[in-house]
Amino acid sequence: MIDQQLVTVTIDGTPVRVPKGTWLVEAAKQIKREIPVYCYHRKMGPAGLCRICLVEIEGMPKLQIACNTAVTDGMVVHTQSDKAADGRRAVLELYLVNHPLDCPICDKGGECDLQDYAMAYGQGYSRSVDPKVSKPKAVDLGPTIVLDEERCVVCQRCVRFDDMIVGERELVLKDRGVRNIIATANGEPYRHNFTGNVTELCPVGALTSKTYRFKSRPWDLRRTTTTCTQCPVGCQMHVDVRVGVVQRTMSLEDDDAISDGWLCDRGRYNVGFYDDPARVTQPMYKRDGGWVQIGWDDALDIWAAAIREACAVNPASVGVVGGGRLTNEEAFLLQHLFRAKGVANLDWRAGSQRQASPGRNGGTLVDLESCDAIVLIGESPAERAPVMDLRVRKAALQKGAKVIRIASAERPYPAPIPSTDVATVAEAIKKLPKDPKRIAIVWDGCDADFATSLLEKLPAGAQVLTYITGEQANARGAEAMGMLPFSEPGYGKAESGLDAAQMFAAARDGKLAVLSIFGANPAMYRADFARASFTAVSDLFMTETAQLADLVLPAKGPFEKTGTTTNMAGDVLPVNAAHSLETPADALSDLEMVVALAEKLGVELPVAEEVDAAVLRHLAKAPEDFTLGDARFGTSVILSPSKDPERRRKAHVEGIAFNVVVQTRVFGGGGTSAHDARIAELCPLPEAAFSPEDAAELGVNTGDYIDLVLDSVSDVVQAHHDNVGHDLLVEVRNGMPRGTIALIGGLPDSPASNLAGARVSVTNIRRAPEDAAEAIGAPA
Amino acid sequence: MPVVKVLTEGIGEANLRDIKVYRDRGGYKQLKRAFTEMKPADVQAICDKSGLRGRGGAGFPTGKKWAFLPAGVAPRYLVCNCDEAEPGTFKDRMLLEETPHQIIEGILLGAYAIESHHAFIYIRGEFKRGYEVFMDALAQARKAGFVGKNLFGSGFDLELTVHRGAGAYICGEETALLNSLEGKRGEPRLRPPFPAVQGLYSKPTIVNNVETLAYLIPILERGPEWFAAVGTERSKGYKIISISGHVQKPGNYEVALGTPVRKLIELAGGLRPGRKLMAIQPGGGSSACIFEEHLDMPYDYESLQKAGTMLGSGAIVVMDDTTDFVRAAFNLVRFFAHESCGQCTPCREGGHWLERVLHRFLENRGLKSDIEMLARVSHEITGINLCPLGDSIEPFLASVLKRFPEQFEARVARETVRA
Amino acid sequence: MSRKNLYNVGALLAGLGVTFKYMFKRKPTIQYPSRKKKHAPRFHGLHELRRYGDGKERCIGCELCSSVCPANAITVIGAENSPADRRSPGERYAARYEIDELRCIFCGMCEEACPTDAIVLTPRFEMSDYRRGSFIYSKDRLLVPPEAGTGLAPDDRPNGIPSDLGRVAEIKSTVSTDEGYDATWRGTILKTQTKGLAE
Repeated sequence: MIDQQLVTVTIDGTPVRVPKGTWLVEAAKQIKREIPVYCYHRKMGPAGLCRICLVEIEGMPKLQIACNTAVTDGMVVHTQSDKAADGRRAVLELYLVNHPLDCPICDKGGECDLQDYAMAYGQGYSRSVDPKVSKPKAVDLGPTIVLDEERCVVCQRCVRFDDMIVGERELVLKDRGVRNIIATANGEPYRHNFTGNVTELCPVGALTSKTYRFKSRPWDLRRTTTTCTQCPVGCQMHVDVRVGVVQRTMSLEDDDAISDGWLCDRGRYNVGFYDDPARVTQPMYKRDGGWVQIGWDDALDIWAAAIREACAVNPASVGVVGGGRLTNEEAFLLQHLFRAKGVANLDWRAGSQRQASPGRNGGTLVDLESCDAIVLIGESPAERAPVMDLRVRKAALQKGAKVIRIASAERPYPAPIPSTDVATVAEAIKKLPKDPKRIAIVWDGCDADFATSLLEKLPAGAQVLTYITGEQANARGAEAMGMLPFSEPGYGKAESGLDAAQMFAAARDGKLAVLSIFGANPAMYRADFARASFTAVSDLFMTETAQLADLVLPAKGPFEKTGTTTNMAGDVLPVNAAHSLETPADALSDLEMVVALAEKLGVELPVAEEVDAAVLRHLAKAPEDFTLGDARFGTSVILSPSKDPERRRKAHVEGIAFNVVVQTRVFGGGGTSAHDARIAELCPLPEAAFSPEDAAELGVNTGDYIDLVLDSVSDVVQAHHDNVGHDLLVEVRNGMPRGTIALIGGLPDSPASNLAGARVSVTNIRRAPEDAAEAIGAPA
Repeated sequence: MPVVKVLTEGIGEANLRDIKVYRDRGGYKQLKRAFTEMKPADVQAICDKSGLRGRGGAGFPTGKKWAFLPAGVAPRYLVCNCDEAEPGTFKDRMLLEETPHQIIEGILLGAYAIESHHAFIYIRGEFKRGYEVFMDALAQARKAGFVGKNLFGSGFDLELTVHRGAGAYICGEETALLNSLEGKRGEPRLRPPFPAVQGLYSKPTIVNNVETLAYLIPILERGPEWFAAVGTERSKGYKIISISGHVQKPGNYEVALGTPVRKLIELAGGLRPGRKLMAIQPGGGSSACIFEEHLDMPYDYESLQKAGTMLGSGAIVVMDDTTDFVRAAFNLVRFFAHESCGQCTPCREGGHWLERVLHRFLENRGLKSDIEMLARVSHEITGINLCPLGDSIEPFLASVLKRFPEQFEARVARETVRA
Repeated sequence: MSRKNLYNVGALLAGLGVTFKYMFKRKPTIQYPSRKKKHAPRFHGLHELRRYGDGKERCIGCELCSSVCPANAITVIGAENSPADRRSPGERYAARYEIDELRCIFCGMCEEACPTDAIVLTPRFEMSDYRRGSFIYSKDRLLVPPEAGTGLAPDDRPNGIPSDLGRVAEIKSTVSTDEGYDATWRGTILKTQTKGLAE
C-alpha cells in the first residue's frame, strides 16, 4: 500500500510530508494532532465503523473518515473546523444514546476513550430522553475475559484481532442493528493464548480481564515499565501495582521491535504469584528430615562451608545449575564466583533445551515477518514463545509466508493460517516456495537432528535466519555470560567442566559434593536428576527440586529485582523492580545472594559498574561459531524419541508402546503458573494426543480417558514409576507422527514432564459419554 | 397509453417458466448469437452505447461499471443481485417468478460480456416461490446446454451458482451481498477497494441488478439505438415501475423513462374517488417525497434528483389524504433501524433513536422539542455512514416533517412528561 | 490610705462593674457536654455510609471519593458482587472502605463526588479516642444499619438511576441536625438533653 513517494498534506494549516498512501490518521499523528478513533488500530488498519474520525477535506462536500482516507498530494484537511467538530459531536452523542452510565464502576473509567472523547469533543448533554437499550452485563466469555454488552461500541477491534492477528476467529459479531452483541462463534468459551489483548484493544470497558475486575482504578496504580521474563521473547510491558500487589500488566503499544504491541495471556495474567501464600519467605534448612527456618547468616554459613570444604578436596565435586531465569548480571556474577573458586561445572540447562544461542544466523524478531518460508521444528512456538508466534502468524496471514512444520506432534494452526505438515527434512525442502529469499528456522532448542540437517540442505541462495524458542527466559543471556561448562563469558573457550547431565550422573554416583541450583526445577523436567550430598536451591517456591534439597533460599521474582535480560533474538532488555510491590522481607535476589556468598567465601567480586560494562561487552559479541545443534552442546540431550520414522514404526508394531513427546503449554509449565490462584482455571487438563491412525488402532477417540503404564525408559531413568499417567484426556490430532503420544509437561501432580523419550503403553480406556464427545467435537 | 411490453412481454399470457415456451418466443437466441457471433467486447460496446443504467437503485451506467474491471485479471465474477427488499419494490420478484429464463439469459450475457466464467445469483430469502421457479428453470437451461462447459461450441465455460439469502435487507447492498455470498456476516465492506477491483473472494466482481441484466436481451435483439431512442437525454430506455399505495390498480408497469408522474398514476388507475393526493414516494423507501406540484415532472433520474429525491429502484408509493404520516414515518424508520447491520454507529444508534422518538409520537407522548430534534438528528446521521442504508433514513422523514408538521404537532403530549 | 489610692479603687470598681454587668447578661458558653450546640444544617462531621431502602449498600466502590479527597484520607478497594451475596445494586461494591478521620479535613468533597449519595457527613463531631488507630473508620463503623436505608435502589428503576439522586441535602444523613444538640450558636437553649452522657 505504501510506497516511498512523499506527498505533502496540510493538516490544520501545518504541512506534513508523508509517504503516499499513508492514512490520514497516521499523518496527523506526525504533527501531534490527535484524530479520535475507535475502530482504527495501527496494527489492523481501518475498518470504517466508528465514524468518529470525521475530518473536513477541502474539495469534498461531505465529511470524510480520516482512518480510511489515504493522503494525496496537496490535500488540505481541517480537523478542528466547525463542520468537523459538529460531525464529531453528533457521532459522540449517538454513542452515548445507549451507553450505560457505568463510569463510576467501570474498570476502564479513567482511561476510557469514550470518556475522553466525550469530554474533549462531546456536547456535554444528551437530547435523548428515552430509556437505554439494555443488554446482558457481565457475560462470562471464557476463563480470562468478561464482557459487558451494554458498554460495547461495536468497533469490532476484538473481532478483527481474532481474525487478522491471531487467526483463531473465535469472536464474532452477532445479531444486527442496535441489538448486536459480541460473542464467540459457537458459544464456546473464548480461549486461546492471546485473549487478554482484547481488553486493551477495547476502547471502552466492554471487555475486561477477570483478574483485574474491580480491583483498582487507573489513577491508583503505580506503573513500572519492564520486560516480561516468562519466556525468551522478552515483551516490553507495564506492571501496575496497588497496595503492594501486582494488579495487572499492560503491553506497550509502540513496542514494535519485540512484542509488536501484544502480550500473551501467560505474561499478562500470571502475575499473581508474588503474594502467594506458598512462597518461600525464609531460608529453610533440612534437619533430621524436617524443615527448619533459619536466618540468612546461618544459611550462608552452611552453604559457604559446604562449598569451601568441597573445593578444598576437589573443585570438580562442586556444581552449579541454573542461570536461565536470572538476569544477565546475576548469571555473570554467579559464574564469576564459582570460576574464581576453580569450579568448572556450570550449566544453565536444567530442562530439555540444549542450546539457546542460534549462532551466526540469528535474526531479529521483526525479520521473521519478511521471510518467504518459516520452518518449525519441535515444540510449537505458540506455547513456548507465544508473542513470537504472533509474528509467524502475521507473516503467514498478512505477508503470505509459507509455514512448514516438520514431524510436529503439536496442534495444528487455526484454519486461516495455512501451514504444511511434513514428516522429513527432504519433504520440507520440497515444499519450500520457489527461489526463497529468506527462510526462517524456528527450533525449540531440544533435539538437534532436524535442525542441523535442515540447515545443511537449505537452498544456497536464501538468507537463513534461525530462532530458538527456549524454555528459560534468559537462557541466551546465561550462555553469553558463561553459564556453560565449556564456555566463558562472551563465548570464550573455557576449561571444560561437567554439564548438567554429567553433574546429575556424578551426583548419582556420589561424586558430587555440593550442587547449587538457581531458579531451576530439574527434578520436574529431567528424569535423570539426582541430588548431591549437599544441595542448595534458590527459588520462590518449594519446587520438586527444592523439596529434595538441604537448603532452600528465598529468592526474588522478576518484578522484584533490577537488571538486564537477553531475549531469544539477542536484544538486551531492562528488568526493573516494580514500584511499591511488596516483597517478602527475607527474600534476596540471586545477585544479593551471590554477593553475600562471595563475601563468606572470601571471593572479591567486581563492582557494579564493572559488572554492567562486562555484561554489555560480552553480550555484544555474537556467538559466531555456533550453529544450530552445535556438537559442543551435544551431551546434554536427555532422552529423545527416535526421529527415524522406520524405527519408530517398528517400535509401534512390536507392541502397543508409544514414544512420549512432552509438550509445553503456556499455562502448563513453570512454577509461577502453578502458584497463581487467579489463573488456576487456565491450567490445561492432562491430556494425551495420538495420531488418527494410532487412535483407530487403539480404539480411542477424542474425549475418552486413559491411563498410562511405563513400558521402558532409557537406562538413565530408574523405572520407579509404576503408573505414569492417570485420567488423561485423549485428543486425536491430525498430522501427528505415528507411534508417538504427546503429553503436557509441567503440570502439577503429573509425572509427564520427565518422561520425554520414555515408552509407555495405554491401559484402562474409558469412553467419553456420547454427548460429551460431541461437545468436544470428536471426529465421527 | 405509455405502457410498453419489453421484459414484461408475455407475462400473464404464456407459461414463460417453461423453456420450450420461452424459446418459441425467441428466448436464448440472443445468447446463442452473442456466444457464436460476437466477442465479449462487442456485447460491452452495445451495452455502453444503449445508455443502460443500473436498475437496482443507484442508476450507475452499466457499461461504465463494467469498464472498471482491471484488464486481464482472472478469475472475475458476475453477481446478479436479486435481493430485492426495498420497501415498495416488487419488480424483480415478478421477473423471477414469471420469466426466470429471461434472468438466466441476461446473467449469461452479462457474464460473457465481462468474460466471467462463474456467475452468481443472490436471491432474497423470502422469495421461496421465486427460488423454486428459478431452480427449475436453471435445471432446464442446464439440460438444454446453456449453462456449463463449452457453451455453443465457443469454448467458453460458464457456471451459474444460486445463493439464497437469509432475510436481510442490507444484503441488497453490493458489498454486503458479497460478504454474505462468501459465507460471512452480511455487512457492507469498506470502500475502497471497490468490488470491481476486489470483490467476491477478493477477485474483480461486477454486481448487477436482475432488471439491468435482463434488459441486455432486448438491447442485443433490437440494437442499442432502439433502446437509446426512448427516454430522456441521460435516462434512456425502459423501466419497470412498481406502483403501490393509494391507487386503484397497483402493480408493475413497464414504461419509458421520462413519462410524467401524473401519467404513471393514471396508469395505475388513479386515486380512489374523492381522495386528495398528499405525497408520492417516487423511488422506494429511501427516497424523499414529491408532492402535487411535481405531478407533471418527467419520471427520470435527473428530474427526480433535481427535485431532491431519486428514482431508486422505481417503486412509487402514492399516499392520499387518509395517510397518517407519523405512522408512515415510524414504519419506514423502524424498517431501516431493524435492517441496520449495526456495524457503523450513526445508522445503528441514530436509526434506533429516531424509531423510539417516533414511537412516542405514535402514543401521543411526543415532546415539542422532539420535532426539531427529529429533523436535526436524522440530518446528522446522514452522509457519514459506511453504506447507503444509514443515509436512507432521512429523506422520507425530513420531507414529511417539513410538509406536514401539523401531523406531528398534533401528537405532542399535552403535558410535558419526561419518560 | 492616700488620695491617690482612692482613685485606684475607682478604677477597680469600674473594672468590677464590667464584670458584674456580664454576670447578668446571657452567657455565650454552654455547659458542654451536658448541653450541646445546634449545628448549621450542613455541618461537616463524621462520615456515614448510607443504604437504600432495601438494605443494600449505596456505595459501589467507585473510588471517586478517594480520588477527590484532598487529604488522601479515604481508601476504597472494590470487589464484585456475587449473586449469592449482593451487597450493592449493580456489579461492584466496596470490599474495603476506610477513612482516616485524623487526616480528614471535613471538606465534604467526598460527598460532592459520590455518584450514589452513599457517603455523607453527619453532624456528629465527638470522636475522641485513646488510640490513633481507632480513628481509621472502616465499613463496620461507617455503614448505617440496614433498617436506616432510604430510597429505591437502582435495580428497581428502569433507567438504573437511584430515585433520590441529587437530593442529598434533604435527606442528608440518619442523624438529624437537631438531635442531641441542644444549643444554638448564639447560646439560645432550645431544649435540654443529656442523652449519651450517662453512657
